[in-house]
Amino acid sequence: MRSVQLHATLLALVLFALGAGSVVWQVMVRDIPLTESETDPVWIVDARVEFDARKGFPVKAQMFVPPSADFVTLNESFVSNNYGVNVNKLGDNRQVTWSTRRADGHQVLYYRLVLTRRFSMTEEKAPPGPQFRKSEPLTGAEGLAAEALLAPIREQSADVETFISETINRVNNSTNDNAQLLLRGDYSIESRARVVDLLLAAAHIPAEPVHTVRLGLQQAQEPELWLRSYNGKSWLYFNPDDGAEGLPSDRLVWWSGDKPLAKLEGGRRLQVSFSVSKNEMSAIQLAQSVQPLQDRSFWTLSLYDLPLEAQQTFRILIMLPFGVLLILFLRNLIGLETLGTFTPVLVALAFRQTDIIWGIVLFTVVTALGLSLRSYLEHLRLQLLPRLSVVLTFVVILITVISVLTHKLGLERGVSVALFPMVILTMVIERLSVVWEERGGTHSIKVALGTLIAATLAHLLMTPPELVYLFFTFPGILLVLVSVMLLLGHYRGYRLTELRRFKALLPSGKDQ
Amino acid sequence: MLGLKTWLALRSRGVLGINQRNGDLVLKYNARHLYPLVDDKLITKERAMASGMRVPELYGVVSTEQGIKDLGAMLRPHADFVIKPAQGAGGDGVLVINDRFEGLYRTSGGKLLSLDDLEFHISSILSGIYSLGGHRDCAIIEYRVKPDPVFSAISFEGVPDIRIIVLRGYPVMAMLRLPTRQSHGKANLHQGAIGVGVDLATGITVGGTWHNLKIQRHPDTANPVSGVQLPYWDEFMQMASTCYELTGLGYLGVDLVLDEAQGPMILELNARPGLNIQIANDAGLMGRCRDVEQELAMRAPRVWGITPRKRVAWCKQRFAVTDQ
Repeated sequence: MRSVQLHATLLALVLFALGAGSVVWQVMVRDIPLTESETDPVWIVDARVEFDARKGFPVKAQMFVPPSADFVTLNESFVSNNYGVNVNKLGDNRQVTWSTRRADGHQVLYYRLVLTRRFSMTEEKAPPGPQFRKSEPLTGAEGLAAEALLAPIREQSADVETFISETINRVNNSTNDNAQLLLRGDYSIESRARVVDLLLAAAHIPAEPVHTVRLGLQQAQEPELWLRSYNGKSWLYFNPDDGAEGLPSDRLVWWSGDKPLAKLEGGRRLQVSFSVSKNEMSAIQLAQSVQPLQDRSFWTLSLYDLPLEAQQTFRILIMLPFGVLLILFLRNLIGLETLGTFTPVLVALAFRQTDIIWGIVLFTVVTALGLSLRSYLEHLRLQLLPRLSVVLTFVVILITVISVLTHKLGLERGVSVALFPMVILTMVIERLSVVWEERGGTHSIKVALGTLIAATLAHLLMTPPELVYLFFTFPGILLVLVSVMLLLGHYRGYRLTELRRFKALLPSGKDQ
Repeated sequence: MLGLKTWLALRSRGVLGINQRNGDLVLKYNARHLYPLVDDKLITKERAMASGMRVPELYGVVSTEQGIKDLGAMLRPHADFVIKPAQGAGGDGVLVINDRFEGLYRTSGGKLLSLDDLEFHISSILSGIYSLGGHRDCAIIEYRVKPDPVFSAISFEGVPDIRIIVLRGYPVMAMLRLPTRQSHGKANLHQGAIGVGVDLATGITVGGTWHNLKIQRHPDTANPVSGVQLPYWDEFMQMASTCYELTGLGYLGVDLVLDEAQGPMILELNARPGLNIQIANDAGLMGRCRDVEQELAMRAPRVWGITPRKRVAWCKQRFAVTDQ
């Protein structure tokens, strides 16, 4: 007996660990939200390309678009009338080409990107870059200035990171004569980035400018310039303004390199403007739209892959064990008497079609009328099966009448009853009447009440959308339930009602 | 907390709860395949007779609807009899006919029934509404036990019976069950009968229980239920103990009756006897079962040599009510 108990306990622990582990894995690793209402920001980035086309000329507009990186692209669209669209790779960049044979007047093209950060695959590495580059020697005054700048930087830096930061700081220092000489009086950010690049080239450190778009709620913005360098493991990003390292999480790398964002053939006055807006999207919807793309849906959201109709069924089905566990609690721990073991769960299932209050009223009315019919049939001395059939038919008639009556009265709710499981009701009536005969009215009312209470509780537990979502999304919870059931299987303590039942056995003087 | 205090008090008295009975005794000692031996009263009867124990004489069995036709012929030689489902539980579906009146049958409750009524009752039994699993059953017609006059002062109609709980052949607790007006002559506690504890050593009754309450007098006759000496006590104990060898079931409730002419008889066996016997005896079953388990563990490999006689002697000595 001991060893069996140990076996069951171990099995329960293993199942618990498996179930809880799968839930934790889904939440922590797969980022599945714990509640249905959890939302995630979804960024919508619009790039608006405007230009005036020259009449009679073919038009070709080219623009860089972001390579997929840290963000997950939910949707990417090119809005353009009469333009052919072509996307191709250009080194680390992606470029879209709009082209048309002829166009006239003001032209507007749109590029829209919908992004989210959740479910992004951080494990995927950006393509590596070079770690060394050749440099053409600088000559004359510039060469001297560069050497003069680089010498202290070499002194004061420990590695590539600090070297780059230090270089940026020196170039930004407006009191430094050497830097001013290299900047040639142009203090724009592009110019400074150019000088930093020049210095780094002289030090054989690879670096390249990258242009980023900020995912923030501002209406218009220009791409922001950053510098990046590959250190052999990952890309390091530097702000050319202050030398700070690390790209903030709200920046989206649009393109890298010196080339301009867009270029145009066959038109004039090219203008590109960005606007960013934010949307909230339910995380689970997000997960559903993202997972198939990434082809890893099998373990994470398998129930969501079912056809919708089957999903509805499973939403009900997967809650059944929870109701059953409740009955287990009520019967074995509390000692509530119910009709049959799982009849209350079936009645609870019926409640979901009728709504709880209406369901209880209906259950009571139909059962009471059915019982009186059953006691009348008792006099006719029918055999079991014919009697059951008569009661079932009576129940159907009763429910039909109730439905029609409530419909006439304008209570549409009554009609929903049509699917209330008649067979369950019939069995309840039959068993209740046997109990009535054998154990008397008080006992049978007690049992009927117990059944009703258990069914109500089971219904209340099985229907909250939050719980259904939890069970449906994390089926591992079922294993946790099984482990609880296993442990209850070896529960040897008193039922709560037994404490009252055996009151007479308490040492005298102490009772009451 | 009041609940916890009650809990601990019951535990310390060794009171057996349903969960513990099911888990630690029924599941542990009663192999499922042996259940038919006690669930089917026909098999029980055959087994008991084969090992030389007295049982109420079997008048006939009705197992098909066609068989009901022959009921009248079957009943003709008997003025009084009992009809019961072979696989009934808790005394449900038992019909006791005391005598006849003008071609009608008088039940123990005084109701007059026609042969038609009896046939319908048997038909209900056959359809299985009284049987444990709800499946088809057969009806037994047998000798009606006439209770010994020793019980007349403390029982109302019906036949009192003696329930003895036997753990692996050791009778651990006994109770006399007395019908009341409320129980309609039936001796089942949940139907309103009284349970009276019995001192295992002497066969003298102690206090009683009625609906989970402790009582001292019979509610219908107002006579005290305690202090009654049950005759043939030793024989009752022997019979109960022997039922272990008879069935192989380690945890058993044995129902015995005392017929005024034929003496002690086995009425039926129960593989999951109720727990109210504890209230009747004002004692916990679990404590006594643990004692028996210890005793068996001590004698460990040579358990099979212990005869019912030895077991009964041990129990009489161990579980005697020393002082009331």
